Amino acid sequence: MRKSALVGWLLLAPSLVLLGGLVVFPVLYNVWLSLFDKHAFMPVQAFVGLRHYRYFASDPEFWTSFYYGSVYAGATMVLQLGVGVPAALLLNEGFRGRNLLRGVVLFPYMIPTIVAVILWKWLLNDSYGLVNHLLMGAGLVRAPVAWLGPDYIMASLIVTSVWQFFPFVVVTYLARLQTIPPELYEAATVDGASAWRRFVHVTLPQTASVLFVIVLLRSIWMFTKFDTVWLLAGDGGVSRYIRTLPVYAYARSFTYLQAGMGAALAVIMFTMLLAATAVYFRMFRRDEVFS
Amino acid sequence: MPHTPARPSRVSRRRFLAGTGAAIGAATLGRAPAVIGQQVRELQVWHTEVEPQTVKVIQDTSIAEFERKFPGFKVRQQALGWGDLNTKLLASLSAGSPPDLTHLNPFMTASLYTKNLLRPMDELIRSIGESDIHEATRKLQYFDGKYYGVTHAMGATYFCERRDLRVKKGLKVPETYDDMLKLCAALTEDGRQAFQMPGEKLYMGFVHPAEWMAGNGGSWVDAKTWRPQLNSKSMLETLDYLQKLNKFQSQGWSGQKYLDTQAALATGKIAMSYLSGARAIGYIEKYAPEGMRDPEHFMPMLRPHGPSGKVGISALDGENWAVFSQSKYPNEAFEFLRLFYKKEHYLQYCHSVPIHLTPIFTSMLNDPAYLANERIKKWKAWHEVLLAGLRGNRFLPLGFTRPEDNLLPFLAELDGSSIVADMVVEVMVGGKNPKAEADRAQKRAEELLTQLGHKRWS
Repeated sequence: MRKSALVGWLLLAPSLVLLGGLVVFPVLYNVWLSLFDKHAFMPVQAFVGLRHYRYFASDPEFWTSFYYGSVYAGATMVLQLGVGVPAALLLNEGFRGRNLLRGVVLFPYMIPTIVAVILWKWLLNDSYGLVNHLLMGAGLVRAPVAWLGPDYIMASLIVTSVWQFFPFVVVTYLARLQTIPPELYEAATVDGASAWRRFVHVTLPQTASVLFVIVLLRSIWMFTKFDTVWLLAGDGGVSRYIRTLPVYAYARSFTYLQAGMGAALAVIMFTMLLAATAVYFRMFRRDEVFS
Repeated sequence: MPHTPARPSRVSRRRFLAGTGAAIGAATLGRAPAVIGQQVRELQVWHTEVEPQTVKVIQDTSIAEFERKFPGFKVRQQALGWGDLNTKLLASLSAGSPPDLTHLNPFMTASLYTKNLLRPMDELIRSIGESDIHEATRKLQYFDGKYYGVTHAMGATYFCERRDLRVKKGLKVPETYDDMLKLCAALTEDGRQAFQMPGEKLYMGFVHPAEWMAGNGGSWVDAKTWRPQLNSKSMLETLDYLQKLNKFQSQGWSGQKYLDTQAALATGKIAMSYLSGARAIGYIEKYAPEGMRDPEHFMPMLRPHGPSGKVGISALDGENWAVFSQSKYPNEAFEFLRLFYKKEHYLQYCHSVPIHLTPIFTSMLNDPAYLANERIKKWKAWHEVLLAGLRGNRFLPLGFTRPEDNLLPFLAELDGSSIVADMVVEVMVGGKNPKAEADRAQKRAEELLTQLGHKRWS
């Protein structure tokens, strides 16, 4: 019995070492770092306890970043669902060219973020962008719209992100749709249910579990999204209007050169997501969803 | 058909894995002596001159000669843009493995010097001709009686204007903020904007604000107490001017980049690019309409001054070479620099981007060998503007509001913080109240300097 337990631990050891080294240690190190006043590249640090956390509680920049991050995560998540779910429903139907379309719809998700962002920056440029060219050609606007200026930069970021990430919703939702037994739809049709009623009473309950996961994952990923946001505005003047929390954390660490404060921001984000996830589970997790 | 069972493999999986492992091991060991015996030492050189012809010149001149003189060494040069260089440098410093030799922005040098990260290079400076180095750059990295850097080349930044358009309007080069506003109003017509500013934070949030402060009698901080001066009279007057100036440029400017402004100038969408240097000549020669690719149409224009200033100040673009105290091969790095500044090498280097890479040596500024370059001959008027600016003390290093700013150890952090950039964007693009934004920026800057341990005021 003891020998088998030892063997069990030995077999578990590689996973424990990996998880410990790659997940637990960085998180704990980050928490520890957030308690110090640490320069980004100098080996000097001073223990400050919870001072950084107290500072951020009253830091207007933090709350502005939190606001922008919430708007960005919320809007992109809703729109990804709004575009992704209907697209998946469409691709679940039988029609000519369906397989090709299923491949094409994945394209935005497959290309590197830098390519997607450069593409959209080119499309939206107010000097030579295609979007303004088309809008002006159609007589919808008189002068080029500054899509990458302060007024529209958040909208441009949201559009870019939704375009890039909605295929994840499509693929995940479509996979679940394909496992719904067709008899359920046949029975509903026999009972005289319209397409809308079949969606509400058959499709939605059957796909609730996957929607739960999609909302959870996409919310977390969009709230912590750094690359798309950074690449769209970089450290340009307009970045002020889309400076989300991950970008602010990056800036504190690598441009303000205050690694301790950057770490504190990361811990705050981690805690926020943990709390939001717990609330989300409590509100929506039901046994039948996962049955 | 009868089912034919698969023929069992003669080689078991275990044997296959053992055999493959042995083969890989033998191959590795077979190569090992050669690899171990080579001992290639690499001199890491990072710089900011990314144009391919400059990279090639460095490779063919200084590096080729260095590798001939030091057979055990390979020089690995990496050309990086400003922003990339800073980020990469910080990462390498925190990892404890910076390059042996690098370009630095002068505003970063003091910060690194105060942290004991740089090596003095007095011997090198003397050997390349201390007294011949132009005074505009010579002592920028001179701390506590020692040199900690040497500028690679001088390039001025200024407006690039469509001279022909201004002359047609009968207007002179603007001397003051008011003159500039009048010029912008006159040049805005037929769907053309008067000018465009680059949207990158480094420029609109640091380099230009330093010029504005310097050209309006202000400075980043109080000389004695280091208290930030972001809500000083000088800055408030400037913000007021900027709010008026903003009407004459594209409303999407803050999302566009320096290169966009050069393209817009060359293609006639704007009459002036706010930030330019002789590098713009390349754009003009490539994209401007035929018959307009000359100094009659495109000329540099120095900055105007504000109501509280006496003379407009432009930034002098000239990173300095620096050797880190953690450098693996410091002596070789200095030897490399000696070869870099060797006249025949250095001339070729300066000619790789003519006028933008102006020699730091006074004796070379009017040297026939330097002036013999075709582009310099054609664009001599641009070279003259640079010389006139140097004579008239119209230049300060990037991000400096006064020469003594080279002693401030927090300019890199101030630039990185976005505090100034946020203020400028809110006032110019957001149309917010200058005083309120300046006060907000002042508060943030005071907090930052306090957090960094540089607070000297009470």
